[in-house]
Amino acid sequence: MLSPQELVWLLAAVAKGDRAAFERLYAATRAKLYGVVLRILRRHDLADEVMQETYLKIWNSAGQFDPALSSPITWMVAIARNRAIDQVRKKTEVSIDEDPAVLEIAADSPDPLAKREMTEELRRLLACMGRLDEERRRLVLFAYYDGWSREQLAVKFDKPVNTVKTWLRRALMEIRECLGS
Amino acid sequence: MSDTDHTDTPEMLAAEYVLGTLASNEREQAEHLIATDPAFAELVRGWEQRLGQLHAMVASVEPPPETWAHIQARIAGVEPSGAMTMPQHPDHAGRLAAEGNVVQLRRRVGRWRQATAGLAAIAAALLVVVVTAVRDPELLPGPLRPKPIEVTKIVEKEVTKIVEKEVNPGRFVAVLQPNAASPAFILTVDVANRTASVRRVAGGPPPGKSYELWLVSDRFPAPRSLGLVSDEFARPASLANYDSAVLSDATYAVSLEPEGGSPTGSPTEVLFASKLIESVQPSR
Repeated sequence: MLSPQELVWLLAAVAKGDRAAFERLYAATRAKLYGVVLRILRRHDLADEVMQETYLKIWNSAGQFDPALSSPITWMVAIARNRAIDQVRKKTEVSIDEDPAVLEIAADSPDPLAKREMTEELRRLLACMGRLDEERRRLVLFAYYDGWSREQLAVKFDKPVNTVKTWLRRALMEIRECLGS
Repeated sequence: MSDTDHTDTPEMLAAEYVLGTLASNEREQAEHLIATDPAFAELVRGWEQRLGQLHAMVASVEPPPETWAHIQARIAGVEPSGAMTMPQHPDHAGRLAAEGNVVQLRRRVGRWRQATAGLAAIAAALLVVVVTAVRDPELLPGPLRPKPIEVTKIVEKEVTKIVEKEVNPGRFVAVLQPNAASPAFILTVDVANRTASVRRVAGGPPPGKSYELWLVSDRFPAPRSLGLVSDEFARPASLANYDSAVLSDATYAVSLEPEGGSPTGSPTEVLFASKLIESVQPSR
């Protein structure tokens, strides 16, 4: 079981070039990051590519991680999501329905992070999401989990792109107000 | 889309960048700003902080073993850019230590105020999961997706604990989470006063059928009926017959019965069951 603090120490060691620490960091976080990117990319070959870029970036910029500003896993997930979304935007020919079998993969792998994940932040965020209009909440969740663009959301929800844009932004502002930060 | 409106602000660009809804060219613009404009980078960091926790609900998936070999090949001969600045300030150290316990001391007081702001907020959080589970099971990451029910066998589901333990040890909540086609029930039990309420979230029973609430305890040879759940909101009175220890340890189940309740005194078809989790007290 790795606590956020343990992940911070591993990142600190990685920043100094400690390859053993990097392997431990990978072991502790690979399943979470792979789950995040596979859900967005829906193809194992693309997910493998994005995992390489993500961990290369983590290796290169571990020294820039600031434990006073963010939690280590949130920082790593953000790197992975951004890589995955950049990838999926560039490969517009990748259909969102491609390889749906990927989504059926069971979450049976041990996850050393899982037990600690229901944080205060998540509780507050879920409470705020609960206040959103249902359709807008679904928009936000599809966008976050599946990495869909406004255009894809517009197709999925059968609404004009500008409506989707307006709804997304209102939802985001409501979340910000609700969180009070 | 090239349309602009009054919400085309750096704040919204940062928010949508983090959410992931920008088109390729807009993402490039945002990434350029992150690299060159510290104020914009700060906006992005703020949104990562706000939304980043959602990753916790994504199911982990084990990558293929060759991925690690690929990564090792990529970092071979590459040295990281430099050591991390570890926190020196005691507040940071405290925050780090506290994070290990999933509680951030710095914000604790404010959060408790938020936590006690009412069961409504908690119920809303539960509803995100429950209502989404009912209407869009595919939208939820794997672990939160409702599983097919097993008829005639009580399946104990692990209910995510989302509430502060210390606030009030006397009030408990169980979410009786159904399969995608069934309604959901949120059961709230006040163990100290031996009262309960049960709220049906969506959907009524099929024609000619009733829902019945049951208490299952290893102290009794058979499930005990707590009465019908006829309306969207019910207050079963029969809890007063059981002592607090039984109530807090029991499993609660909902069954589908012929209209008017079980003809045999035992559940006919158990739909779902759950243990209680501790909850906060509404600040009334």
